[in-house]
Amino acid sequence: MKKPSIKTCRRALQIGVAVAFIVIPLLNHYRISYFTGNFLSFYAAGLPLADPLAVLQITLKNYYINVDLLIGAGIALGLAAALGTVFCSWVCPFGLLSEWSQSLSRRLLPGADKGMSVRGRGFRIKIILFALGLAGFLLFSTTPVLNQLSLPAWYSRIFQFYFEQWHISLAILFLLAILSVEFLARQRLWCRYVCPQSFLIIAAKLINPSRLKVGFQQDKCLSNKPMRPCQKVCSLSLDPKTLGETVDTECTNCGDCVVVCKKIGQALVFQFSSSKVKAKGSG
Amino acid sequence: MSKFLRPPGARPEKEFLARCLQCGQCAQVCIFDCIRMRTGFDPFVSGTPEISPRNAPCELCMRCSAICPSDALEDVPREESKMGYAKLDRDKCYTWKGFIICRSCYERCPLKSTAMVLEKGIYPAITDGCVGCGVCEHVCPEKAIITVPTRFVT
Repeated sequence: MKKPSIKTCRRALQIGVAVAFIVIPLLNHYRISYFTGNFLSFYAAGLPLADPLAVLQITLKNYYINVDLLIGAGIALGLAAALGTVFCSWVCPFGLLSEWSQSLSRRLLPGADKGMSVRGRGFRIKIILFALGLAGFLLFSTTPVLNQLSLPAWYSRIFQFYFEQWHISLAILFLLAILSVEFLARQRLWCRYVCPQSFLIIAAKLINPSRLKVGFQQDKCLSNKPMRPCQKVCSLSLDPKTLGETVDTECTNCGDCVVVCKKIGQALVFQFSSSKVKAKGSG
Repeated sequence: MSKFLRPPGARPEKEFLARCLQCGQCAQVCIFDCIRMRTGFDPFVSGTPEISPRNAPCELCMRCSAICPSDALEDVPREESKMGYAKLDRDKCYTWKGFIICRSCYERCPLKSTAMVLEKGIYPAITDGCVGCGVCEHVCPEKAIITVPTRFVT
């Protein structure tokens, strides 16, 4: 039997999670509560999971630490430190919608792909927005108000509102508006520049230099087109060739470039340490 | 400001809002479907839980305060879950008016004989033990009872 590709596995997980957060409120409605919560705080049959930013907000405002929340946020941050921000590309349901709107845009809208490579800049904008958001929260709010900017949380909340109190949340319009802007701009604007929830997991992944990364080996690369297949397939418009060399903050380890490259030269591979490739790449 | 109750065990309003993660788990485990997540456009309270006793009162099963991950709802015994306080209007109550002997509120009170007693064996009266679950408000045929949330009690 043929082994399913990384992309197939990823899509299966993403769609599985997206469907799960529709089914869970429905199950809860019928009193089956092994799984409860949304992307802010979740119990999976007793295992606590939590959004690190939500936990940070209530910790800062209450000077209080709760074991369950600490474990939940710790799992999320630990995963990011080991495997990179795989939450964004393998789990987040808004990431899935955003990717679909992006690929639809590439297919439907005329004109060549811009293929912009603004490495680093996206993260700088994100740092500034995050700092402004956190300062605003500390100054003006007691409620963890940044939770309202979590799009995966809104995705799950829409179904919580619907199945538990038959209320159609207008947050649907909020999500659709952002998706349409991303469709027209042909860039994943929210994930790259705004999402405050992703800031902490990016910070956690940067702590560990030997986390899972996409490595690049120059001598194996067979493509000399100006727009290489790996670059074309990246939904974040990054240039995967540089990923192993620079500390790349934006790559979410989705593996699309690895899948494309597998048929060409296998110059891009997932690996845990970048030191070996670094020597080859620079040499 | 609308007059909704917080679920049992809720901390004082300001502290509650600072702790509530808006995860909705209290509403998901509520078997009486009395907890609703607040809707609307106010980002500071939207997504927090509320109870309106006229629609569905709290039965003090305390499942919500047990699951709350951030202790916005404290896991306290039901007698100490200060949600509010019920007020009985004796000019409206059937029994106090002398029409009939109605004991709907007394019979359904989850803290019967602690929170609600029968004066002279007949007249329902609310004591200081009332936690404001709102069951009496819900069952009163004459709407003679109003539950006031703790944060409005002065």
